[in-house]
Amino acid sequence: MTPETFKSEYGIDARVLHEVEEIDPENRRVLVKDLQSKKGRWEPYDRLLIATGAVPFCPKVPGSDAPGIYGLHSLQSGITVRNVVDTERPRRAVVVGGGYIGLEMAEALLLRGLEVSLVERGTQVMNTLDPDMGALVSKALVEVGINLYLEESLEAFEAAGGRVTAVVTDRRTLPADLVILGLGVRPNTALAQRAGIPLGVRGAIRVNDRMQTDTPGIWAAGDCAESFHLVSRRPVHIALGTIANKQGRVAGINIGGGYATFPGVVGTAVSKICKWEVARTGLQEREIRQLGLEFATATIKSTTRAGYYPQAGPITVKALAEKGSGRLLGAQIVGIEGAAKRIDIFATALHAGMSVQEMINLDLSYAPPYSNVWDPVLVAVRQADREVRSAS
Amino acid sequence: MGAERLVVIGGDAAGMSAAAQAKRLNRNLDVIAFEKGPHTSYSA
Repeated sequence: MTPETFKSEYGIDARVLHEVEEIDPENRRVLVKDLQSKKGRWEPYDRLLIATGAVPFCPKVPGSDAPGIYGLHSLQSGITVRNVVDTERPRRAVVVGGGYIGLEMAEALLLRGLEVSLVERGTQVMNTLDPDMGALVSKALVEVGINLYLEESLEAFEAAGGRVTAVVTDRRTLPADLVILGLGVRPNTALAQRAGIPLGVRGAIRVNDRMQTDTPGIWAAGDCAESFHLVSRRPVHIALGTIANKQGRVAGINIGGGYATFPGVVGTAVSKICKWEVARTGLQEREIRQLGLEFATATIKSTTRAGYYPQAGPITVKALAEKGSGRLLGAQIVGIEGAAKRIDIFATALHAGMSVQEMINLDLSYAPPYSNVWDPVLVAVRQADREVRSAS
Repeated sequence: MGAERLVVIGGDAAGMSAAAQAKRLNRNLDVIAFEKGPHTSYSA
């Protein structure tokens, strides 16, 4: 939606190419710089919403400022990379980082006919999955034709003629015409911090469940703000558009004089690499151990549709539940088309605080084009229920 | 005195969702959003 439509349909004055440089909470005003005229001026506010988003991590290695290296964190950065692919016709791309951005960019570049390599420092891609499920994704990447280099850390970029030419890891040099950085993001909160607005976990702005900061008249929402994790009962920083839209809605209702709360998140996310769908929600093993909880896991293999039905294909579902109580703690799914959105069943169960035993009797839909009579989700929670009860 | 004024810093998902929602509830609110990049974004 453009600034013109915001004006005509909503009556909102949206000014692009205007950067806020200072917040003065004492006098309720912000210093705004018009990036075209380079002029700055103070604008007063009664209420202020900080929605400054997140910024990509940039590796501090030699050559990281070479042209041809891109982070993906805004509509504009996506447009820029597409233009580069269209006009400069790069042949070889190297993606650094095996998270959502890395995977999705690897897919996009593969579809545009580039040779794609992916470098990941850890032992697996998608570190929001447990190692066993992450390994399935690594296997899928290789299967779709990506050159995968795990346990290799970035040491430098090489450049020649004013362009990046290679990515250097601790084990090899990978020639590159185009480099994509997918090393994660951090909340963009330097402006808020300078204004003395208290920050919380990982430098995200601390907010209450109405999205108010600790500074009177100032609210925060989106990738710059904290969320509350409903399973771990701790503040977290998760930079996802799903959360940003909901937090923005709640902040807006409260600012507009209504009353709304954002209770929190369960850490749900999905991604896709070619035919493979990847999904997760709740806590993974590492996070559960940090909380000191004892847990059981169940990992089952099934099919996305009835086994005999055309286009049925593999799906692996992992469920994690607390020992004793059987409370669902998390779930992860890897499979072909039809797999990923099943994570929403687990996400809803986490919101409801259900146990795996309670989930077994969920009245989920069934017909052969969509699932087996026991949906893979139900097969997983049945197995998890058995594991929860078994003596460890 | 003029209308109350909401200033939004950042014209992406959270900022523009909030701007639209606040304006919907309070038509008299003067809403201005500043975005340093060339685009705003919103999915109602």
